[in-house]
Amino acid sequence: MSARSPDLWVVMAAYNEARVIADVVADVRTAAHRVVVVDDGSKDATADLAASAGAIVIRHPINLGQGAALQTALDFAVTQGADIIVTFDADGQHRAADIAGLIDALTRHGADFALGSRFLGSSSNLPPSRRALLRAATWFTRVTTGLDITDSHNGLRAMTRRGASRIHLRQNRMAHASEILHQIAASGLKYVETPVTIHYSAYSLAKGQTLFDALLIILDLFARRLHR
Amino acid sequence: MIAQLLLTAMLFTILLYASMTYRQAPIIGLLSVAAAFGGLYFVWVPSHATRLAELVGINRGVDLILYTWVLISLIMLLNLHLKLRAQLELITLLARKIAIADAVNSLPSSEGRRS
Repeated sequence: MSARSPDLWVVMAAYNEARVIADVVADVRTAAHRVVVVDDGSKDATADLAASAGAIVIRHPINLGQGAALQTALDFAVTQGADIIVTFDADGQHRAADIAGLIDALTRHGADFALGSRFLGSSSNLPPSRRALLRAATWFTRVTTGLDITDSHNGLRAMTRRGASRIHLRQNRMAHASEILHQIAASGLKYVETPVTIHYSAYSLAKGQTLFDALLIILDLFARRLHR
Repeated sequence: MIAQLLLTAMLFTILLYASMTYRQAPIIGLLSVAAAFGGLYFVWVPSHATRLAELVGINRGVDLILYTWVLISLIMLLNLHLKLRAQLELITLLARKIAIADAVNSLPSSEGRRS
């Protein structure tokens, strides 16, 4: 890396997030100059509001899913010369203030991935059922990937350009969070976990995953292994 | 005899289908081949079908053949699902290329790629 400061891009996938996207983008812009929002075929004004708030907006012509939108954002950021890419949820549950901690962890440990963990940090308003589901998902991920992690489904993570180039998501929908971890494990690149804070609002909880979603994720991951 | 010939023709079609499927989804191809050969064997050696059926609690060999056919149908359904997923992946790649090209074209020059 040269002497210039690393080019930091924050990317997020958004689908029908008109209620919160402007505030989220404005918040993130306090931490990063370049913010990319992939509007995943929203039916509301998400794209326009994100653009007005200062984000670079990429519009999927059709709804493909969060995983597909995230891969689009990673591809775009890498081709545009990003040095560090942070993935951030568009529903307002993350804090822009945690981005600095992720970047610091990357540089301090010489890692290619810094994964946010609400269980090392904190979370407010996390229902017990959701906590149990996340714990089970983390246990499953630890067993299947061998990664020593405490939070398998946290959308707040940072990666170097080299790390991002090793991510090729084929799970378009919610299973992408597990797929990223599988690909991180397969890459052999160094990863660290960093404490982050997640604030659950009624809005973000309504968009979260249920036990049924978790079963679909497992099926998705299994089906993906059946074909090339 | 007519039923045996009909079933044989259908099971050979499954074998053809399995060979076409193998390259894209080897597991489905292998399952289809195994089910089709199993089906062919039971169609032409019904006494063994009956013995195996009794062994697993189905009672009649002809029922076992029907169950085999249901199994083959399920495997084909699974393969259809996998083909749809493969199509969706292609659509995703296409949509992504279009979306990124549009975004790059609409970038102001100051936001362009850093050297």
